[in-house]
Parts: sequence; structure tokens; C-alpha cells
Amino acid sequence: MTIDLQALVQPDRVHKRVYTDPAIFELEMDRVFGQAWLYVGHESQVPNTGDYFTTRLGREPVVMVRHTDGEVHVMYNRCPHKGAKIVPDGSGSAGKFLRCLYHGWTFKCDGSLLSVPLRSGYEDTRLDLKDPQYSVRKVARVASHRGFVFASLSADGPELGEFLGGVATSLDNFCDRAPDGEVEVAGGVQRVIQRNNWKIFFENLHDTIHAVATHESSWRAAKEEFESMPAGTPKPFEVVIVDGNGEPLDFWEKLELKGYDRGHGFMEGIFVPPTDPVSRAYVAALEASQGAARADEILRVNRHNTIVYPSCSPHTSFQQIRVIRPLSVDRTLVEIFSFRLKGAPEATFQRTLKYTNIVNSPSSNVMPDDLEAYNRVQEGLTSDGGDWVSMHRAAGRDQALPGGRASNGNSEMPARNMFAAWASYMGVRAGDAE
Amino acid sequence: MNFSNWQEQQEISGFLFHEARLLDEHRWDEWQRLFTPDGLYWVPLVHGQADHLNHASLFCEDALLRSMRARRLDQARAYSQQPATRTVHVLGNVALESRSDTGCMVRSAFMLLEWRKTEQRAFGGSVLHTLEREGGEWRIRMKRIDLVNCDAPHEALQVFM
Repeated sequence: MTIDLQALVQPDRVHKRVYTDPAIFELEMDRVFGQAWLYVGHESQVPNTGDYFTTRLGREPVVMVRHTDGEVHVMYNRCPHKGAKIVPDGSGSAGKFLRCLYHGWTFKCDGSLLSVPLRSGYEDTRLDLKDPQYSVRKVARVASHRGFVFASLSADGPELGEFLGGVATSLDNFCDRAPDGEVEVAGGVQRVIQRNNWKIFFENLHDTIHAVATHESSWRAAKEEFESMPAGTPKPFEVVIVDGNGEPLDFWEKLELKGYDRGHGFMEGIFVPPTDPVSRAYVAALEASQGAARADEILRVNRHNTIVYPSCSPHTSFQQIRVIRPLSVDRTLVEIFSFRLKGAPEATFQRTLKYTNIVNSPSSNVMPDDLEAYNRVQEGLTSDGGDWVSMHRAAGRDQALPGGRASNGNSEMPARNMFAAWASYMGVRAGDAE
Repeated sequence: MNFSNWQEQQEISGFLFHEARLLDEHRWDEWQRLFTPDGLYWVPLVHGQADHLNHASLFCEDALLRSMRARRLDQARAYSQQPATRTVHVLGNVALESRSDTGCMVRSAFMLLEWRKTEQRAFGGSVLHTLEREGGEWRIRMKRIDLVNCDAPHEALQVFM
């Protein structure tokens, strides 16, 4: 049965099947995840020769490895002999060579074939060990933006910088916030399984209007907690980051949302830069390194979630990246990586971990109600109660930007923007996001 | 290290069983009062995790965060608690790990069955309680729960383990 994709996507609404049809999920793996630049990981995850880190790009298992010349390679985690995954899932060190467990074929850390046992047995056969097909296959394209490694499974398409467009500034600010101008992954990876289509998660990242409703239990609990403290107590960091979801709708209305071509975007920061001792010590370290004027310029870039469609969401002011990995049409894995700002006081990193523990971890006090909402959406969309999902709010009111569009904080522009990109990847046209 | 007598073993096991019962019955206020003011409730993210400050955790909650969670679980609009999570703890292998002037460390094994909506989940692992004597009562300075699958991807973990 062929799928009429064109009939499923309109500029201001989409058909429920795009979230529920396993056949469409398979097409997405080919056309969206098979074309876009996808976040692989950060170079600091493979600091030394032979260090590796495995992940998946769409449905493809890949490994990121540091070669002897210092370059980082991304290749399929598959031996060209019998097909075994060469390194185990996770991260570690392979030493100077990658050696397949099954028959001992050995490869340099750039994937090129180094040796095979019983080489003489291949003489006069059709197998030519000099043929590159007997090296580990590299993914089509790999590029790094300030240490953030991206790969594309397609040889064609825009360069990474052009692909990122306006959200490159979020990755830049992520690093600029480090007094030494660099960041590194540290402190472990949290992993959350969600029972929803991956697009529902992305749409929620810039959906401001759900916060006050969905998160009522957590923002009320935080407010009550603060009210129970002695008068004059400074509001603890833990309360600030949880009760923020309880701001009224006119607060969110005033926030700026930006959408860029290819589905990216960011949302203005929802927190006033904190003035607690940890934050002040961090600002002092940044000013000492960069000068007060430059430090001020860096900190003025105040963003909540950024969307790098369709693979990750960096949070620049609390130093983490969530990587979104679709598992099936109704299951999604979100991996949360925390980063250390090089040159910043240790307490800054500990605050990053506090943020991830409280807001993003599986035990978060905030996220379970999001997951409940996603789950009810996913279940509801499989019903005959209706065919369409609305993205009408503030449609037609966006302001044009070079390479994108801007809207006020309560607009559903980000969802329309992502679906315009989705349609383009899938080979159809959703019309203009406006 | 062994318990010095049957009575000591009974007393400490009884304390652990009581704590588990408070959790299973959602008696969050009574449970929170079992902790010392600086007591920590900690579920590490990786095996052998030595540090809760410089490494992410599954849970890492002081009095403030425990109180916020307890308040949230009781909110009428905690949508992900419609219906509430139901649990039962089974504890065993209670053993004395060490003794100090003010208290002791006790290790136990636990199984936790959890039910919500349509799914039953099982968790298990070992628990290390750092206990202190305060005015004739035991108090928890640290409850560390090492899940056998701490490093697995998890769906939401909402209630105290």
C-alpha cells in the first residue's frame, strides 16, 4: 500500500498517522534521519587514541573513534567480514587497533583494514583485501562544530554550518560560556524511555503553553515548599527551576521563539540569570578570563532549549544536551549528557548535575507529567475520535528572519516550522510555515 | 561484622521494615521524619558510584527535594499519579556493615514491585543505610540504593524506592 504523504501534512495541521503509522516511521528513518546532519557526540568523549563511543544514527549502529592522528572518525559498527558489531555498545578504549571478536580481523582506528588471519587463504579468490569494501565503512559525512560531532548518512546535502543555520549560535554560546572557551562531557549519562513518537517530544520542547497546565503538580509543590520556609529565605535554586513552569500565560507570551529552516529553533531563557554565590563565582571566572564586556555579551545570550532537528536539544545555560533517539513509532529514547565548562569553578558543574537530576533524569519531578501527556496523546491518536492534530495557534502571524521566522512565546510556530522541515525531508510540501 | 545479639538485629530489621511500610503506604511525612536534618536519599546512576556531587544520579535528594517530591505526589493535578503508583517492598539479607560511636551502617537486599495503570515493574538491589541514634530513636543519615540495573534506560521513576 502506498502512503499519500502529501495528504497528511498541511501548513497548520497534520494527520494523526504521522505519529502512529509504523510504515511512516520506517520512511522517516530513510528520509529524515538518512539525510539530516545528526548529533553523534562530543569530541571529549573520545580524548585518546583508540577511545570509542557507540550510538545510533537513525537505525544504524555507529561508533565514534579517535584515530592515531588525532582525528575523530564515525563509522558503522559492523565488521566487513561476517557482519559482527566490532566494539560493544557503550564507550571505552580499543587500544591502538579495532579487533573483531569473531575471527580477529583487525582495523586501524580510522577503520582501514590492517590484517586478517590466514591471509594466504584468500589468494586467488574473488576477495581482494585491498578493496576498501573490506575496511569498516565510514558514514557518508562527518563534521565538527566546536567539538560537537555531527554525521550525515547521506553524501549529499548542505555543509554542517549551513545546515545548523541560526542555531549554530547556541552551540557557540554553549562553549563561549566556559572561561577557557571549551566544554567536556562529564558526570555520566541519564537515559529515559518514553512511550511516544519522537516528534511529540520535539514539539513539546518549544511548547510553552503546556507548562502551566501539565506541570501544575510540580510548580505548586515548589511554591508551597518556598512558602513554608522562614520569611526572607532566598529562593533556593531547586525551587527556582521547578516553580518557573508556573508562570502565567502572559509571561510565556512575551518570550521570543525563533524557528529556522530545516526545523531548528530556540526559545528565549525563562530564568533570570541567578545571583547566588555559585553563579557569582562563575561570572567572576568568566570575567577574569574574557573581560567584563565580553563576559556580559556571552551571558546576554540567554536561551532555554534549543532544537537541532531531528537529533538533539542543547541547553546552553545549564550545560547539557539531550539526544533524541527514535526506537519505534511509539517509543523514544532520550539520553542526557552533562558538560563541564573548562575553567569554571567545580560548583558550576555540580549545579549542572543538580539541574539534570531535578529536571531531566528518570526520577525528575517535572518530566513524569510530560511523559503522561505524551502517552495520552499517543494513545488518543490511535483512536477514531478524530484525524487531525492542530498547530493553528498564531498561524499567519510570524515575522520573517533571514533563514527562519520569529514569533511570540505562545505561538505554535515551532511545531509548524518542524513540520515544514519534516515534509521537505519526506519529499512533500507542507506549504509555508506562516 | 555481626550484630551483637538477636535483639539488636530485631531492632534494626524492624526499623527497616517500618521504613519500607511507610513508603508502601505513602506515609511520606512520617518517612521524611526518619531522616536526620542533613540526611541524604541517594540512588546512584552507575555501579560503584563514589560521588553524588560530581556525577549524575537517579535520585539525589536532600530534605528540600524529598519534601518537594512528597508534596508533588500528593497534588490533585499530579497527572502522572492518576492512578497513584502502588508498591510493595520486600527486604532481606539484613547485615551489619560497620559500627561507629553514634550509629551503624546496615546493608540489606530489596525487591520492589511497582504497579501503575497497566504495568508492573520490578526493581531490586542492595540498600546501604547509614543510621544514627538520636534520643533513643534511629535516624537515617544516608539511604543509598544500588539498583542491579541502575545504568539501564528507565521510564519515569516517581515514588521513593
